[in-house]
Amino acid sequence: MESREENPSNGEERDPQDSIDEDEEDSEIDGEDYQPEPPPPSQESRLRAHKARLTNLSRKLSSEQVPIRVHDVLIKGNTKTKDWVIEAVLEELKHAGSLQELLQAASLANFRLQELGIFHSVNIVLDSGPKELPGTANVVVNIVEASNPLSGEIGYYTKPEARSSTLEGVLKLKNLLGYGDLWDGSFAYGWNQTSELSAGVFFPRFKSWTNPLIARVFLITQDWLKYSSYNEQSLGLSLGLISSRNHDLTYNLSWRTLADPSQMSSRLVRRQLGHGLSSALKYTFRYDRRNSPMRPTRGYAFVSTTQVGGLVPDARSLRFLRQEFDLRYAVPLEFNNAAINFGMSVGALFPWGPGFLEKPSPLPERFYLGGNSSPLSTLGGSASLLGFGTRGVGPSEPRRQTGDTIERDFVGGDLSVTAFADISFDLPFKWCRKSGIYGHLFACGGNLAKLTQDEFRNFSFQNFLKSYRSSVGAGIVVPTNIVRLEVNYCYVLRQFDFDRGKTGLRISFSSL
Amino acid sequence: MEAPREREELTLVVRRPCFGLPTACPSCLPVYFYLKFSGFPFQLEFNLIHPDSDQIPYIESDSYVAYNNEKGGVIESLKDDGILDMDSELWSTPDFTSMKAMIGSWLENALQYELWLGSDGSSVQKIYYADLPWPLGKILHLKQIRMVKQHLGITKEHAERREAEIYQKAMIAYGALSTSLGEEEFFFNRPSSLDAAFLGHALIVLQALPETSPLRSKLSQYDNLVRYAEKHKAQYIDTSSISSPQFPSFPKRGSKPKGAAKKERTPEEKKFRKRAKYFLIAQFVAALLFLTIMGGPFDNNELEMDDEDQGFSYDD
Repeated sequence: MESREENPSNGEERDPQDSIDEDEEDSEIDGEDYQPEPPPPSQESRLRAHKARLTNLSRKLSSEQVPIRVHDVLIKGNTKTKDWVIEAVLEELKHAGSLQELLQAASLANFRLQELGIFHSVNIVLDSGPKELPGTANVVVNIVEASNPLSGEIGYYTKPEARSSTLEGVLKLKNLLGYGDLWDGSFAYGWNQTSELSAGVFFPRFKSWTNPLIARVFLITQDWLKYSSYNEQSLGLSLGLISSRNHDLTYNLSWRTLADPSQMSSRLVRRQLGHGLSSALKYTFRYDRRNSPMRPTRGYAFVSTTQVGGLVPDARSLRFLRQEFDLRYAVPLEFNNAAINFGMSVGALFPWGPGFLEKPSPLPERFYLGGNSSPLSTLGGSASLLGFGTRGVGPSEPRRQTGDTIERDFVGGDLSVTAFADISFDLPFKWCRKSGIYGHLFACGGNLAKLTQDEFRNFSFQNFLKSYRSSVGAGIVVPTNIVRLEVNYCYVLRQFDFDRGKTGLRISFSSL
Repeated sequence: MEAPREREELTLVVRRPCFGLPTACPSCLPVYFYLKFSGFPFQLEFNLIHPDSDQIPYIESDSYVAYNNEKGGVIESLKDDGILDMDSELWSTPDFTSMKAMIGSWLENALQYELWLGSDGSSVQKIYYADLPWPLGKILHLKQIRMVKQHLGITKEHAERREAEIYQKAMIAYGALSTSLGEEEFFFNRPSSLDAAFLGHALIVLQALPETSPLRSKLSQYDNLVRYAEKHKAQYIDTSSISSPQFPSFPKRGSKPKGAAKKERTPEEKKFRKRAKYFLIAQFVAALLFLTIMGGPFDNNELEMDDEDQGFSYDD
């Protein structure tokens, strides 16, 4: 049996019984007593016999478990890659007890080896075992390592923590040490003048440590001058400690600098300008049972993100506790592939340490609402509120006055609550359905509040709910090969004080 | 002196207090004295985390802000904006202008050299970096030393010559100022920005520099200048009101604060702290359980698999 990634449809089936029959034929040929050869079977009769064996095999496979035991696993073609990197992926193969299990395990192993990204091709052949051990099979893994370890790509991505999507160029060096390692250097640029220069290494596993190890050094610059009169530069190191389908644990150590080259910032922002050391652990639990992350029509998802900052003995580092919950639920409707999605996000932030009640929370860690990213397609990360400008909702402070008008800095909140409802449906045009273009109606709302510096004593949940902001709208979503384009008309129902809500047409881009 | 424009109370933001001074930053102390001389009421606040900013000191009142790096400094901004001008009739005096220039160039360079290059760096560590985590403070300190060397034109080949030049000019300046002051209370019969500038310089030299500092010993040779500084310090600096900024105290690396008085906690604070502690413990236990149950570095099943001889052999 072959499991080949490049030509999966051309895989030959080879019945172990067939090979045993051939062995018997061979032994007959090699026998000492010579007997006249029977007339060679005709082509047609061979094909008929082969077809009969295949039919017999497929009947057996569908009706009963064909017991088999893996005798040997041979790996061929790896000159650079360490054996244990490949063996780790083949563990399940060794324990297969039936042919069906073996086929499944081989297919999965093929996929996982391809996923390492370090091989040009992977070919898994299932062969019969030694004659003296009937009911056994040998597994031969033929790999071709990538001849050129260097590769590059350009793409448009949305990371869960990013406040916007970024255009990213990446150079990758594969399997430098033979551990299945992936080294990369990347440069990314986002809509709000966010730029990131980083280099990282990824180890799928390391000896007995089964979790992938990810390490990254980065230099990130984010320009918030237009919205909050400061820009932020972070130089640091990120370590991925645990990365699985549901759990993600990362550690970040970064030197963060907030500066105001415009010298227009408000009092609250001025007080936070300067240098800080952030040593934070971030744990994300993700449970996504929706049928599609981009246009879910059924299922639910839950994400919990916990961040603890200040994990160094030095009390002068940034100390904070940040918790976010995201819940999504999709219910299918009976027409036009329609579905209604509900979502709710809640987040809270608090500093800790001596005098924490009087300390302000760090500006970059606060919650900000606003922006054009769709709440439907982003799970976890910052909360958006369609119809409002980036960071255009919630607490604000007057900037330095230079003329007659005084502009304001949006300074975010320590408590954030947002909710949305979205009905998506196919458009009544065949070409739209073919291209994946669909329409949607939405309603969203949210609010921010400050809790730190003794403000929590004045906090009232009733007032918080009464002062929520909201918007409704309709739009069209166009998924292209590179980006996802959304054109929405937003109508702002409620806004307060100095919010930057504006009724009108909004266009947004996000990654696929 | 022009009457200050009516505004909300001013806030002066400076670097941290130390060495018995409300601030030991050479850019900030003159502004402090200038406002004290004027009798203008103001609050003092501190920025502890931006040692390399040229915006500090700055004055703010409502939405008005005067930064150090605009219009020649905070004192000049206050004059320009018609808020406070204590030099109104003195600008036309040639001595006033030349003495100000001398303090702003020769003495400023001398103090800069002495703080960053001439001493062991302990003074600047306390003035600028005491509130930053060690790696940040260390890197910024080294970066600032490099910048000062560039500003003063000090290279390996000319270091000694340049040092002698700087000290010589400082001596000349001290001599001229001492002669001009005599036994008067102020340089020009009334307080001015010149007095503020020199007081700021002199008090930092006398109190922040070590006793072995050459610059300090040169200034100490002029008794009238030392008396002048001590007298105005006693009059305008209330040492009992100088306290650490309203931030938590930062223990040295590896040590715990000794005898720190515990602030009385309200019942809500106690409840919150208890809940926060349980939350952190729960998160830690959950992560530990996950690592143990779901498989970490010591997955026993894999070890057993490796030990058993299942007859697998591999062709390399």
